[in-house]
Amino acid sequence: MSKSLVARLYGIAPAACAAIPLLGALDAPATAQSAPERKAYFGETHVHTSWSFDAYIFGNHITGPADAYKYAKGEPIKHPLGYDVKITTPLDWMGVTDHSEYAGVVRLSNDPNSPISKLPIADKLKVRDAADIQRIYLWLGTSMIKEQPIEALVNPEISDTVWKANNSAADAANEPGKFTAFCSYEWTSNPDFRNMHRNIFFKDCAKIPSRPFSSLESQAPEDLWNWMDGQRKAGNELLAISHNANLSGGLMYPTEVDFKGRPIDQAWAESRDRNEKLTEIKQIKGASETHPLLSPNDEFANYEILNYLLGDPQGQFITLGGSYVRQALKDGVAMQQARGYNPFKTGVVGGSDSHNTAVPYRQENFFGGHARLDGAVKERMAGHNFAGLDVRFENPAGLTGLWAEENTRVSLFEAMKRKETFATSGPRITLRFFGGWDYASGATDRADWVKVAYAGGVPMGGDLQPRSGEKAPTFMVWAVKDPTSSNLDRIQIVKGWSKNGQSFEKVYDAVWAGNRKPDPITGRVPAIGSTVDITAASYTNTIGAVELKGTWTDPDFNPADDAFYYARAIAIPTPRWTTIQAKELGVPPPEVVPATVQERAWSSPIWYTPTAEQRVAAQEGTTEADLKEQGAVVLDEASLKALLVGKYTWIRNNVTGAIFKVQWGENGQMLVMNVDPRIPQPSEVGDVAGGSYLGTPSDYSIRDGRVATWFGNREYEFTVYKLAGGSKDLLTRGDTYLAARSNEFGYANYEIVPTPVFLGTDVKDPTVPQ
Amino acid sequence: MSSPAEDGPRLDTPSPAPEPGQGGGRSWTGRLLREPLLHFVVLGVLVFGGYRLIDHQPQAPAGAQRIEITNDDLRQLAVGWLAQGRDKPTPDQLRAMVDQKAVSEMLVREAIALGLNKDDEVIKRRLAQKMDFLLADIAALAPPTDEELAAWFAAHKAEFTRPPRIRFRHLYFSFDKRGEGARAAAEASLPLVAGRSPASLGETDVADPFMFRDYYADVTPEQMAKEFGGVFANALFEFKPGDWRGPIESGYGWHLVWIDSYEASRVPTLEEVRPTVAQAWQAEKYREVKQRAMDEIRSRYQVVAPSLDNLNMDDLTIAPSGPSASVAE
Repeated sequence: MSKSLVARLYGIAPAACAAIPLLGALDAPATAQSAPERKAYFGETHVHTSWSFDAYIFGNHITGPADAYKYAKGEPIKHPLGYDVKITTPLDWMGVTDHSEYAGVVRLSNDPNSPISKLPIADKLKVRDAADIQRIYLWLGTSMIKEQPIEALVNPEISDTVWKANNSAADAANEPGKFTAFCSYEWTSNPDFRNMHRNIFFKDCAKIPSRPFSSLESQAPEDLWNWMDGQRKAGNELLAISHNANLSGGLMYPTEVDFKGRPIDQAWAESRDRNEKLTEIKQIKGASETHPLLSPNDEFANYEILNYLLGDPQGQFITLGGSYVRQALKDGVAMQQARGYNPFKTGVVGGSDSHNTAVPYRQENFFGGHARLDGAVKERMAGHNFAGLDVRFENPAGLTGLWAEENTRVSLFEAMKRKETFATSGPRITLRFFGGWDYASGATDRADWVKVAYAGGVPMGGDLQPRSGEKAPTFMVWAVKDPTSSNLDRIQIVKGWSKNGQSFEKVYDAVWAGNRKPDPITGRVPAIGSTVDITAASYTNTIGAVELKGTWTDPDFNPADDAFYYARAIAIPTPRWTTIQAKELGVPPPEVVPATVQERAWSSPIWYTPTAEQRVAAQEGTTEADLKEQGAVVLDEASLKALLVGKYTWIRNNVTGAIFKVQWGENGQMLVMNVDPRIPQPSEVGDVAGGSYLGTPSDYSIRDGRVATWFGNREYEFTVYKLAGGSKDLLTRGDTYLAARSNEFGYANYEIVPTPVFLGTDVKDPTVPQ
Repeated sequence: MSSPAEDGPRLDTPSPAPEPGQGGGRSWTGRLLREPLLHFVVLGVLVFGGYRLIDHQPQAPAGAQRIEITNDDLRQLAVGWLAQGRDKPTPDQLRAMVDQKAVSEMLVREAIALGLNKDDEVIKRRLAQKMDFLLADIAALAPPTDEELAAWFAAHKAEFTRPPRIRFRHLYFSFDKRGEGARAAAEASLPLVAGRSPASLGETDVADPFMFRDYYADVTPEQMAKEFGGVFANALFEFKPGDWRGPIESGYGWHLVWIDSYEASRVPTLEEVRPTVAQAWQAEKYREVKQRAMDEIRSRYQVVAPSLDNLNMDDLTIAPSGPSASVAE
């Protein structure tokens, strides 16, 4: 049959009808297409069973780790409230992560090596038939009534620890090639209601330690890492996955001092990087990618935000800085540039944190995560106030994809270790992401594009090879929808970069469904629209795409700036679980959460680090150390008040060149004005462009020789330096004033400048007629 | 350590374990439980209650205010330390551990003296959970004999049924390329390829390139449900080999399918699945053991409750919910 015939038959242009060669390759089935080097395996990094103390309190009494694995493999199990639950699509792998803190306390062993069989009592406990069971329990029961513990019985050697039982369950569920079960647990550090939890995954169950390191030993992640280093030295490979950064009150990703109050240094960064390969970007208790106030220019940032601290402490609330993954990645590249190390080169995973043994991954199958506290539809939809958490803000579990050669512990662990991982919001969205210097535009159209991608670059989680010259890197992206879920809207590239202690971000649309044209002003691809019928809680896949792929080259690349890139695939809008269950109950969907949601997938980042020569070639900014060397004076409280209070200043960000006005009120209120939305803003300033337009004031305070400001429940201070001469500003009487913001790693980037004549940046050389 | 009267595990006289899911929902969300000190004390009770339970060394006569650390206590502390993969503790480190242990013990005793352990739902549930664990694996199960296992397998064969497996090739008609015309295109293509084996088709561009595989070998319904969706997988395993069939719909578009070979589902022999069967046997025995144990315990208790039908709840007031102790997640 000829191409033209096919084209005539179906009215399809031949070009759109790319040929599949069916070359009689039946005897070599595996090579029908060039087999990609790795396959995506989807699994769970974070689930609790009744063996977790808190899960037991929440009402999960009946199901343990073995049931969790059954559920993952597709068998129905019991929800703690007694009804059957079944996974929508079975998983390829899982690690049960019960809390180490309480499990097995009763069975701590004096001598972990003492075998049960050597004890005389072992014979008495052999069960062969029902009569044996009766006999043993009568014996046991009598002893309990008499309050005479049977010494040999409570002796820890006679029964395995819960820890061992947990790992046996993993061994029993592990089926190499078909389903992988990891030995894993959760280290549950929660200092002052701030979530510092980590899940620990072991490569090989044969080498696990006799006891897990728990937060009873230490709440400090530094001590956990030391223990992990010791395990690794002893030949036991393991890694940590942090989670719920969003609930960490700013503690998860510190930049100045560690948990113990010591200054963060290279050794700390290396220890974290060695042990903490991954972080969980989304789970039942919210997303940790970013926050709309950290990413005001990201129209998809407002996604499953959970404003809550575990335990609902009075007088405390979330802190934005230090609590979100994207900001940590940005701080990481800023630290790389300013200090020469990056503690936050983390890959991403998705997880559940379900305490039900079973996990809901889908909006249409959401049964909560906390047993009786959110397990019934009426209680959920009534917004049960579960220890301060309105359960309507919970959402289905995230999912992890690992690019691995095969479905085995070794292969999957290695994928986690090299961060060739991606997270999804729950559906099995497949996402690939590669970066390289010489990928051809349109390279993803080749049948063997994956091979080309691996050969000419690095996959997600990797580092771009150093490269001299000005050429920008090119990225290949590919996403396929979950065949049982919604179509895809677009793939975006999220870029973060740093310069002179400041870090920035920009979200680029790389590939999108349909024929939408980017907005001529913002450059953004318009919203895809929605097929959701809220009342019917339904949608159709008549918009969006099954598969999206393409290449993207960074249009704003500067070889001197440290940078990272990650891909984010966004699906078309679908009804949120609250909308679906509102329909079931015949009530309107709640207004406290969105009625629709756009499912998504996030890749681990690819990093770019300039060479030493490229750094030297770049124009260096001014640091506080430079200023001190040049004899600059730090303004004291009186001079700061004289300079600012009751005045306005025009300030230039010397990194971006942006010029804006700040009004300093006498009442402690300040207003930032004339902010150009086209110029990227440095980190942790909030929506200054919107605030400038609306006239939204914020607080400032002059004390201890600094100007204190606040953002997201954290204080940011400016130290102001005065250098004699160098300025034409009347306000400053010709002196130069430079300010350093406390989150910019020692750079003084803000300079008081004369009033600009023009505020726009796009028209060149204008003059006002005389 | 402590004198027997102050011993953690024996603080509560034996009483029926709390019924799962009932009782005390409010008491553990109480104001008191917000106190970090209390968390510490509770933890101490749990930890040292547990330690006490397993500590059967002869006790030095203990005065009310005496806390004695024995040589075995020290060795146990050292084991805990070494089990974390660390070097041997120095005397200073040991001293710190001893101090920590003693302080915890003091707090636990003070807490118990104040009665803080009474009616504490967290402690009760923790103890119930421990008992639960104990019931589940108190007995060292002897492995089944061959006869036992064979008999048990014969009674549970259905649980070990192996899924059907097929090899198939498919032609893909993409929603992305053809939109709603994908089905019509697949239907119209069927007569063009009917009766022609994939090998005899040669190079053709009837269909669209598929993003995963054109040919799948020895795959199960579960694998295909993951790759194409459940509806596709169900339909796929209904087809007979020997010609192009369909079209059937997946999450990606419409497909024509050629089944090369079909291996029906079957019950394996015991030898093929012996380890799995042995595991399942053991799991069932453990459930049995646990049930027996619970039955035996139940037989020693009488639950007395007022009539449940006429409980007056009209005068109950619900305190506003405050912060909770359930900080672990």
